[in-house]
Amino acid sequence: MPTNAVTATRTGPGFDERPVTPSRRRRPGDGLAGYLFLSPWIVGMLLLTIGPMAASLYLSFTDYNLFTTPEWIGIDNYRRLFDDSRWLRSVQVTGMYVLLAVPVKLAAALAVAMLLNSQRRGQGIYRAAFYGPSLIGASVSVAIVWKALFSDDAAVDRLLSMVGIRTGGWVGNPDFSLLMLVLLAAWQFGAPMVIFLAGLKQVPRELYEAAEVDGAGRWRRFWSVTVPMISPVIFFNLLLETINSFQIFTSAYVIGGRNGSPAGSTLFYTVYLYDRGFTDFRMGYASAMAWMLLLGVGLVTAMLFRTARGWVHYSGDNR
Amino acid sequence: MKRFRTVLATSAALALIATGAAACGNDSESGPVTLRYSWWGNADRADLMQQAIDLFEDRNPDITVTPSFQEYEAYWQKLTTETAGGNMPDVIQMDFSYLREYADRGVLYDLDDQTGDALVLDDLLAGFDGVGEVDDARYAVPIGGNTWSMFYNPALFTQADVPAPQVGWTWADYHAAMAAIKSTTGVYGGGNYTGVIYNLEAQLRQEGGALFTEDGQLGFDQERLARFWQQGQDLIAQDVVLPVETAVQIKPASLWVDDLAASDLGWDNFLVRYAGETDTEIRLGPLPSDDPERLGQYLKPAMLLSASARTEHPEAAAKLISFMINDPEVGRIFGGNRGLPATNAQREAAELDGPLADVAAYEETIADQLTQAPPAPPRGAGGVEAAFIRISEELHYGRISVQQAVDQFFTEAEDILQS
Repeated sequence: MPTNAVTATRTGPGFDERPVTPSRRRRPGDGLAGYLFLSPWIVGMLLLTIGPMAASLYLSFTDYNLFTTPEWIGIDNYRRLFDDSRWLRSVQVTGMYVLLAVPVKLAAALAVAMLLNSQRRGQGIYRAAFYGPSLIGASVSVAIVWKALFSDDAAVDRLLSMVGIRTGGWVGNPDFSLLMLVLLAAWQFGAPMVIFLAGLKQVPRELYEAAEVDGAGRWRRFWSVTVPMISPVIFFNLLLETINSFQIFTSAYVIGGRNGSPAGSTLFYTVYLYDRGFTDFRMGYASAMAWMLLLGVGLVTAMLFRTARGWVHYSGDNR
Repeated sequence: MKRFRTVLATSAALALIATGAAACGNDSESGPVTLRYSWWGNADRADLMQQAIDLFEDRNPDITVTPSFQEYEAYWQKLTTETAGGNMPDVIQMDFSYLREYADRGVLYDLDDQTGDALVLDDLLAGFDGVGEVDDARYAVPIGGNTWSMFYNPALFTQADVPAPQVGWTWADYHAAMAAIKSTTGVYGGGNYTGVIYNLEAQLRQEGGALFTEDGQLGFDQERLARFWQQGQDLIAQDVVLPVETAVQIKPASLWVDDLAASDLGWDNFLVRYAGETDTEIRLGPLPSDDPERLGQYLKPAMLLSASARTEHPEAAAKLISFMINDPEVGRIFGGNRGLPATNAQREAAELDGPLADVAAYEETIADQLTQAPPAPPRGAGGVEAAFIRISEELHYGRISVQQAVDQFFTEAEDILQS
């Protein structure tokens, strides 16, 4: 209502000279105006997030093939997951991927961020160049190029054979295909790198100088100054990347197909979920899978928060 | 009451015919009609499709067709959701492996209601009798077809002094030929055919069996599958077939790239693709069979057309379908783009050249050996095929034994077919 909106603006300190009494503050119109401005977001949230989530939660307890009415079957979908060898395989593949990709990617991001943190000519160009890959990261074309790079007798294979390592193509080798996707993820380190860079900028120079005076070498300064100082940033990136890694889909689907080729070595959780939902028409089962993923990611996140108490230092915490 | 209505409707229809107003069928069909027509394909096919649609609209000024298309995977994803939302296009392109999936759920229109009137099916190739029928109702009509065949490189066969594939050669002959080619020329004798479910189907059909039973279960037992996969293991042990590492890696290209092997089995219209991948001559031949009377080959509908059960214009939809499969001009426009045409008129009209002409000529030579196509695969057949590919890959990589592979396949396939 327009009148309420006007009232709301008048309550600002510049407009209202009267002392603000508690009753004055709680005028119903104030809240309404706020909600009015929030409404696009609230409507979007309800329709596009909460609604579908509720529907998916309901469907996860049903047998639903997209065509006929969902049929309530209780926790059967969840129970059957544990007898499903493909599901177990997808959990295993995804877990392995998260364990490998997250540290590799974060290490790459931190290393490059530190390189870019020093003053150098053309710094902007370097930063843009390193950030580039993560902008195009999720695209299908990159995955295709990646696949081509790692084929038999292609760029990577030739480079490695120059130093005497003969791996053959990685694409056709089930022992290497996952590693290939880990490297693809690591290559897209731009986003965490930018965040690390911002964190590194906040570390006071005096600390390094003091450490240097005390005779600390580069390595020592890194572990004793940099890491603790940016630990909140590391934690933030770790959380973000872990959650993202669990949801790897595009590159895996493009390279390994819906069957996780070769030999099921890239059968990621989301790939199998997609296959179940859209190829086998088992939306109920796929929904149950989605909620298990949410549960899994939630558990891992909670665990990370627990361990964080031990190694993440916030300023003003204990200094 | 019902009877009264029928009588009323019949007399009304008769009255209409008498006044000559029934030219365009029942009255719900008169006036301008808009049909949504959805198909999978690429931009090339879109151009051809538009030409065909323009032609159809010229002949039927009352009907407007709005086409939409996606790539194959995206097409099914979209169609699934549209169908679930009760918003299926009036006419859709259908794949044999999804036909039953959709038919069983009652979302397809029984085209028998229009057959003989708006839909003319008299000109279909002989091998297509009954194709598109599910449980005695016609839910789809084939547009084109192809047959599972042997591809071979005649030069390598000659070089190894092995006779070219001909009717009467057995699987043992094929294995011997592959071994001879590998030892004389150094080129792999063939791809590992045991990774493809259609080769198992061919062997089963040659024995008088089928991949799936009438009631949608697996048409073979564990022992039979173990025997099939063991053949592949023997070929790997002898090192006469293309290793799986290479086969996986070159995807989506085939083994004809760089002439990696001397033979392979596949749908005969793949020749067009293969010819684009190599300059080497590739020929088509009959499947090996231990029973010379039974090749097991059949004309598989490559694509079909269906109408939505909810379409408000079944007659117009049937007209469009009929036009797309029968009109010679449409056959000329598409040529071999939708596979070899399913009707005689279109097959004659299509100006086939290069490899497609070879395929057409090949189909002529084995025409009398082609047998009736199996009924539409059961629900979940697509999933079963996917499981077959993945598990045989694991087997070929040596990650599991034949027995483990068989166990795993039966567990998965039965699980998929159950629902």
